[in-house]
Amino acid sequence: MSLPGLGLTQPLDERSQGPAPPSQISLKPGSEWRFEVAFGHIIKVKLLNGTAELFGTELAESQTYTFTGTKAAIFTWHGCSLEVSAVDKPASTSDGITPTAGRGAAGCQSEYTAEETPMVEYANVHFALETMREEALSIGKDGPRVLLLGPENTGKTTLAKILTAYATKIGRQPLVVNLDPTEGMLSVPGTLTATTFRTILDVEDGWGSSPMSGPSPVPVKLPLVYSYPMESPLDGEGAVYRPIISRLALSVTGRMAEDEDVRETGIIVDTPGILSLDNPGAMDLINHIVTEFSITTILVLGSERLYSTIARQYDNKPSSSATAAVFDEVISVVKLSKSGGCVDRDAAFRKATRESQIRSYFFGNPIPISSPSSAITLSPHAQQLDFTSLSLYNYTVTSADDEDEDEYDPSQLATNSFLPGGQDDYPTEPKQDPDRAAPLPGVVGSLSEPAENANNVSSVPLKKVLPPAPSDLANTLLAITHAPTNASPADVRDASIMGFLYVADVDVQKGTIRVLAPVGGRMPPRAVIWAKRWPGELVGLVG
Amino acid sequence: MSSAEIAEDYKSSLEDLTSNDGMQIRTLTVIAKENTDYAQAISRVLENHIRTTPPPQKLPALYVADSIVKNIGNPYTGFLGRNMYQTFMNVYTLVDGNTRKKLDEMLNTWKLPAPGSKDTRPVFPPEITRNIESALIKARTAALQQQQARAQPDILGRSRASVTPTGRTNSPMPQNHQHAQNGHSTPTPSLPQRQDLDYLNRDVDALIVSAKKDFANSPFNPVSQQRLKALVDLQAILQTQQLSPEQLKLVRDQVSALAASRPPSVPPIAGPSGSAVSTPPVIPPAPPVSQPFQQLLNSGTLAGLIKATASRQQPTPPPQMPAALPQMPQIPQQGNTPQPAAQENPLIAALRARGLLPGGPTPSSLTPSTSTPVPGRTTLPFILPNGMQVTPPAPSQTPIAANGSGVPMKSAAMKIPRFALLVSLYDSRPNRCGTCGRRFLTTDEGKEMKARHLDWHFKTNQRMTESSRRAQNRSWYVDERDWIKSREAGDENGAVDTQPTTEGTAGVDGNAKQEPPKPWIRAPNDATLRNTPCPICQEKFESTWSEDVQDWIWQDATKVGSRVYHASCYAEVTKGPAPTSQRTGTPDSVLGKRKAEGTESPGHKTRIKTEPA
Repeated sequence: MSLPGLGLTQPLDERSQGPAPPSQISLKPGSEWRFEVAFGHIIKVKLLNGTAELFGTELAESQTYTFTGTKAAIFTWHGCSLEVSAVDKPASTSDGITPTAGRGAAGCQSEYTAEETPMVEYANVHFALETMREEALSIGKDGPRVLLLGPENTGKTTLAKILTAYATKIGRQPLVVNLDPTEGMLSVPGTLTATTFRTILDVEDGWGSSPMSGPSPVPVKLPLVYSYPMESPLDGEGAVYRPIISRLALSVTGRMAEDEDVRETGIIVDTPGILSLDNPGAMDLINHIVTEFSITTILVLGSERLYSTIARQYDNKPSSSATAAVFDEVISVVKLSKSGGCVDRDAAFRKATRESQIRSYFFGNPIPISSPSSAITLSPHAQQLDFTSLSLYNYTVTSADDEDEDEYDPSQLATNSFLPGGQDDYPTEPKQDPDRAAPLPGVVGSLSEPAENANNVSSVPLKKVLPPAPSDLANTLLAITHAPTNASPADVRDASIMGFLYVADVDVQKGTIRVLAPVGGRMPPRAVIWAKRWPGELVGLVG
Repeated sequence: MSSAEIAEDYKSSLEDLTSNDGMQIRTLTVIAKENTDYAQAISRVLENHIRTTPPPQKLPALYVADSIVKNIGNPYTGFLGRNMYQTFMNVYTLVDGNTRKKLDEMLNTWKLPAPGSKDTRPVFPPEITRNIESALIKARTAALQQQQARAQPDILGRSRASVTPTGRTNSPMPQNHQHAQNGHSTPTPSLPQRQDLDYLNRDVDALIVSAKKDFANSPFNPVSQQRLKALVDLQAILQTQQLSPEQLKLVRDQVSALAASRPPSVPPIAGPSGSAVSTPPVIPPAPPVSQPFQQLLNSGTLAGLIKATASRQQPTPPPQMPAALPQMPQIPQQGNTPQPAAQENPLIAALRARGLLPGGPTPSSLTPSTSTPVPGRTTLPFILPNGMQVTPPAPSQTPIAANGSGVPMKSAAMKIPRFALLVSLYDSRPNRCGTCGRRFLTTDEGKEMKARHLDWHFKTNQRMTESSRRAQNRSWYVDERDWIKSREAGDENGAVDTQPTTEGTAGVDGNAKQEPPKPWIRAPNDATLRNTPCPICQEKFESTWSEDVQDWIWQDATKVGSRVYHASCYAEVTKGPAPTSQRTGTPDSVLGKRKAEGTESPGHKTRIKTEPA
């Protein structure tokens, strides 16, 4: 119940802009409050009574949670009331985004209460998985391996969070695999990760945080991270995505074999929406994932057509697990509704989300709020690196889209943005002017590539970037792998990574680059992958 | 404004009253006072609200009535007094012990004049309070008698036989065998019993009518759905089965209890153990032992009882659990002789088939359609085939063994609401952390975990304060081998263990625990130092993430002067105490181990699938 004019209890934040008064929201059992908060605007949410959960993770009573740059929903099984208020402190807008307070309660861009949610279905998925886990435990096989499919904005990641949160809530340890390079899980975009969850997810910050040198109010999670610096798995016809998936699956299998808790609980695999569109090659990749992870359960969200295709292909077929025959293990394909709360995240919002993920990797908690308990500020280390000391690799693949666009829309080439452009294909040769217009980069790349690195497997489209330092290194991320500097391209591709550098500056003359590293000290002598294509250029991370 | 509008207005204001908020209650009283012309309408609305609001909100609603009557008096006293007996008893039946105490206190004030009033008459006319009081006394007496009758085995006790672990297979033992076991015969219904049955049928009919109405009003409400289905089933059973006197008595008790507590329309999904720590307004009712009217169809409580009676291997049944159904007492255990499997009692089977009880004895079954032998069973959506899941606090060794549900992984099964199963996510873990909302079991182990968890919060907060002074940074990600070896650190055990829990060896090496704590140091930030191997064995140090220290550390390391050694190497060389770890000082030991692991590790190249270009 919002009572306009009763803003007297407003906390002592700066109220230069006249914050909206706190609003109270009562939710009936089985309903949810959906809200969108713009980047730069901050709201506070407090659970007054009842029970409430955000994507499966329960809110504690009377604790203040802050949100910014979020589109989320707070659901209640038993009914609850929430207090929502705005923090109208101008956020740190080094990125130049002006805080935009919407017209909803507490300045949300949009907020409303919805009574129809697919939570009954999602909870049933959890219960069904529990049934499978118990059964698996009783006969000694591995827990269920779940694959989430569905077009973009159908709530795949949300469902993954709900299933993860429910499982951890009752003491399970699910292993969550994120195969969506457009969105990072416990890392930046352009990565594929695997993480075991045992502790509570972070209500405010999605999945939580990877380890830091200091303490964290929400227990940190330990991700295994691989670099996939492309937006779409289909780029290069999956020639890069595929082997990394295999490698990731191998590590996951290794973990499963040794970690009893994980083995009992099983895996949850989240995928990018593009796999669920009618793309050539997408089915192949799905098949690859199903095989590599020995998927037992496929959940299809929000697409009848995809469901029927997938069901025809996989339902009741034996899983690829080595023990499938022994246990008579078959794949089940289940159709689930998309939540009415799924909103389209437009390109600008997605970009802001990516930038916020990268920023918080280096600088910590993205919410600069008054409550010091949850804000963590990290201090990355800036340092000068000699470019020749780097063993830098770059992928030289083109996406199917690129080729089309290059052909029909040459103007695309001129843009120097983070969007998949056509420029990735020529930095291998020493070049003086990286911005020179390359007429047909895709063709050049694929022709020149096998000629080089003749000593290596020519099929790996990963080539060493030789000095001098290309100037478009600036404002991009470099992924430091665990592979030694002299590793073969295939090894570099398959190596998990230890972290990222952000290139603040390139001095072409001196051949040096200024980078931001999360950890101080000398740069580890490892092969480095240039995340040039994805997440691409991020201007203004360092002021 | 018309009286209908006023009523509608008042209704919506009442709906906002979810806790005992004095301010709101005063406001509602003032509104009532300003609209005494519409006292009748307002009184009806208030009565309806009290009847339909979820149990945790009933007390505040009743307080509104109390405040109105005390502050305004007539005409409200007249209007509200007319149905106060039903209203009060309805509330009393559905709320937990604490709330009942408050209700008793309120009732006492009704026998006195309103505070501050010149009127010397009591708040409500004595006949109203007297009626309520005598009903309460009767109910308490009955409850007491039932407690004394505890020793007599009854229907649920018998069904327990089929729930014992040995009954897993549900082999078709004849039912009378079981009767014999329990020392019961199956008498044919005698005349008085016939009569009983007739009464019973009539009562059930009446209840069905009311449940239907309720269901029509709120079709989404799972409780009314379940209630209606259960009643219909009950009717079928009564008409087709011959029940023993004990069974009949039980059914009768339940039905009369039900009749006394007309279905609330929005009751929460109540758990048997909901109230240990949280505050009264938000928790589902947890009936105390002396509860006179149990909620027959409260699946949680039934589940609790079944569970309590069933799992006898459980040394201490969770405290609140057995309280649920006083007239379905737990029977003393009949030794440890395995119970022969028996056909399930049809009544229980019916309840179970409707999802009101947890499933049968098979903890997990792939064939979800194993159904219960109920004659006339129609296919209803609430089938919860097997699995004892709705369970409240499970035995400590298997804290998660009880959450399954027998829900098949099929598209068709996903749409069916299974609110009863939510207990596993909420009510069965009522012990909440106030900081992060994590839930714990009420078992001793759960309490211990919570204590450690709170300890973790405390230490983390301390460290947060300390560390805010020095710069922090993101750590490097682990590599594949470390990740595979790592075990998720729990916040509930990190604080006690002096050994970091995330690192590999502790999880693998069972001996680690018996060894004295190994020396460790924080991994140096300086890269040169970090890359300097141990001067003795020439091996590099491995950084492991320590949840406890919240930093990267080097295990088995010690700093001597400006150099870092493996503690065990150093100890060996300096002829100090015997090496404390498996490290022998020869480089091979660790490398050799790694090689052995290598066959499994993803580093092994032959296992990598290569793709054609």
